[in-house]
Amino acid sequence: MDLDFTPEDDQLRAEARAWLASNVPSTARPAESVAAGQYDRDWQRRLHEGGWAGLNWPREFGGRGFSAVQQMIWFEEATRAHAPAMNSMLIALMHGGPTLIARGSEEQKAFHLPRILTGEAVWCQGFSEPGAGSDLAAITTRGRVEGDVLVVDGQKMWTSFGHWADYQELLVRTDPESRRQKGLTWVICDMKLPGIEIRPVLSMSGEHHVNMVFYDNVRIPLANVVGDIGEGWSVAMSTLAFERGTAFLADQVELAHKIDALIALASKTRLENGRLAIEDDEIAHRLARVKADTMAIRSMTIAGFSRVARENVPGPEGSMLKLFVTTTYKALGELAADISGWAFFEYGDNRHTNRMTYDFMWSWVLTIAAGSSEIQREIIADRVLGLPRAR
Amino acid sequence: MDLMPGADEHAIADAASAYLAGELPVARCHRPAPDRLAAEQLEMIGSLGWFGLSLAEAQGGVGLSPVEDVMLFREIGRYLAPVALLTTALAARVAALGGDDALAATLLTGKAKVALLVPEPADVAMWRVFDGTDAVYALAIDDESTLYPLDATAVKAIDCLDKTVSMGLLARAGMAAAVRLVDPTIMQHGTLAAAAMQVGAAEAELDMIVAYAKIRETFGRPIGAYQAVRHPCADMAVRCEAARSQLYAAAVALRDGHGDAAAQVDAAKLLANAAAVRNADSNIQLHGGIAVTMEHDAHLFMKRANLMAKLFGSDRALLDRLVDNRLAA
Repeated sequence: MDLDFTPEDDQLRAEARAWLASNVPSTARPAESVAAGQYDRDWQRRLHEGGWAGLNWPREFGGRGFSAVQQMIWFEEATRAHAPAMNSMLIALMHGGPTLIARGSEEQKAFHLPRILTGEAVWCQGFSEPGAGSDLAAITTRGRVEGDVLVVDGQKMWTSFGHWADYQELLVRTDPESRRQKGLTWVICDMKLPGIEIRPVLSMSGEHHVNMVFYDNVRIPLANVVGDIGEGWSVAMSTLAFERGTAFLADQVELAHKIDALIALASKTRLENGRLAIEDDEIAHRLARVKADTMAIRSMTIAGFSRVARENVPGPEGSMLKLFVTTTYKALGELAADISGWAFFEYGDNRHTNRMTYDFMWSWVLTIAAGSSEIQREIIADRVLGLPRAR
Repeated sequence: MDLMPGADEHAIADAASAYLAGELPVARCHRPAPDRLAAEQLEMIGSLGWFGLSLAEAQGGVGLSPVEDVMLFREIGRYLAPVALLTTALAARVAALGGDDALAATLLTGKAKVALLVPEPADVAMWRVFDGTDAVYALAIDDESTLYPLDATAVKAIDCLDKTVSMGLLARAGMAAAVRLVDPTIMQHGTLAAAAMQVGAAEAELDMIVAYAKIRETFGRPIGAYQAVRHPCADMAVRCEAARSQLYAAAVALRDGHGDAAAQVDAAKLLANAAAVRNADSNIQLHGGIAVTMEHDAHLFMKRANLMAKLFGSDRALLDRLVDNRLAA
């Protein structure tokens, strides 16, 4: 066991640090809006021009082919330099692109992958429905084959960035007689097609981030199907395993910075009793506990890389990391609320007015999205502990 | 960059487990005097190299590192083996680094057992003594560690909740040091190994309830099929994974002399304490009534976890240090 970086790792870190120092935009991302989407695309284009796009994509598809450790180095440096996050490029870079690489046709790869890497194409996800959240296999949105098109009718839910995305990874039921995981199809949907209606859903943070998407007789070329008709579940699973691999690495690295920022805040904020927050034993001990937890997150992350390096596939242990990270994020949010006093309530319904209060609310998104904490516990019970099936 | 044990590290754990399963099984804790180590056992353990595993060969040790230490002490924790195994190993390190080669050799070969001395908050004239029975030396650990010859008959015995240790009180007056050593890493080695013992206990607690949840039936189904049981078990597994990963990171940091080693070790003990104590709670609760009986193993782990959560770094002490070292920085 070791925690050593190789000389090549150190070289990479130096290159990343130097590039970031002269390329991180001086302006902040605008409030959630089409302008914010443009900001995400512009940053992605800049990353591409600098040779930092598709870090985890294989080189033959235009990526950098980075190992997990190399990705961690990048995210550590990017966070340190206050570089923009992937934001609305995340689905394209971490789900859509990797799914096409794993299962797409040559035409699909040739058309879409360069557009993702350059920031030209934003993708959104079309998996969840009003009646299919944690129980994803309960999908009812219909797709029926008519000649060389797939005609889609139904509704998707929680579509992040759907209001400015160009494409969607869409999961539909193509066999009406089928149940559960069988009879689903994964298809690339152009969000400009006629028959698509997008309605905003305001989050409790006050921001327009997610949407409902309605499909009325939407005609998608059959050539956009990834894998075969009826293979949608296995195609979707190739992204979900990926999601629990390194997709949240940036969040894990960022958490360590958030606790350090909170410690700095506690060193200058007075509590209602007049004491500096950091000098209050209860606050100081809670800060120290969260600090220790963020240290453990880095250790778990590296242990996870090591396991994947030995076993070659992301295992169910990723669920343990997600549960621990999101629980820590929540503890951090509660602590921030406690330390900042009345300032916690100074919030104008977008993240720029008060990032800590926004993060406090975002913590529920983390414990619910991408497999809720309850679903993660089920995965651990089944696949790590081998307990008898509940279902 | 690798935090998964390799074949050599697993071999250390497997060998330790094989010895402990034969000589010091958990079942012994249901018989009288589970704190005792026979003289032959102590010497055998000495010959296995456990008291000098991470001590340099030049100092009479095996020449391995804190990484191998955590593999060993995790097994010691899993079997609820005596705390004196850790105290004796630390005493051997103090003697060796303090220049008393003869005493170091005595301790490394298991010819003498060492008791642990802890300051008594209510009475500065007294030590609280752990594993004083049959001990010939006693060790107090701080930034300066002190190794004393011990007259075991001078220890006033007090029944301990955890019967796998003996506990007592000892007057400080008249004790003459055999070795004194100013070296803050002694406590770091102790805290790390104690964290390993807590991780081993936390894993044993998880294994115990998972095995039971597969066979115990209520309302016609195994209890492991109920989410009210499955989800706390999953949380136990997460506590083990977090504490184990941090344990490995801390062991590497201490081995390689990283600048943040002290904080990494403190964080490891903090997570290990939580894993052992809270998993002990869940293990008893999910077992139900059978686990509050004396004949069951669950209470043994609960008692040991709570004791070890106070020795070699209580949560309060660890958090205070993390506040001072990390938060102020």
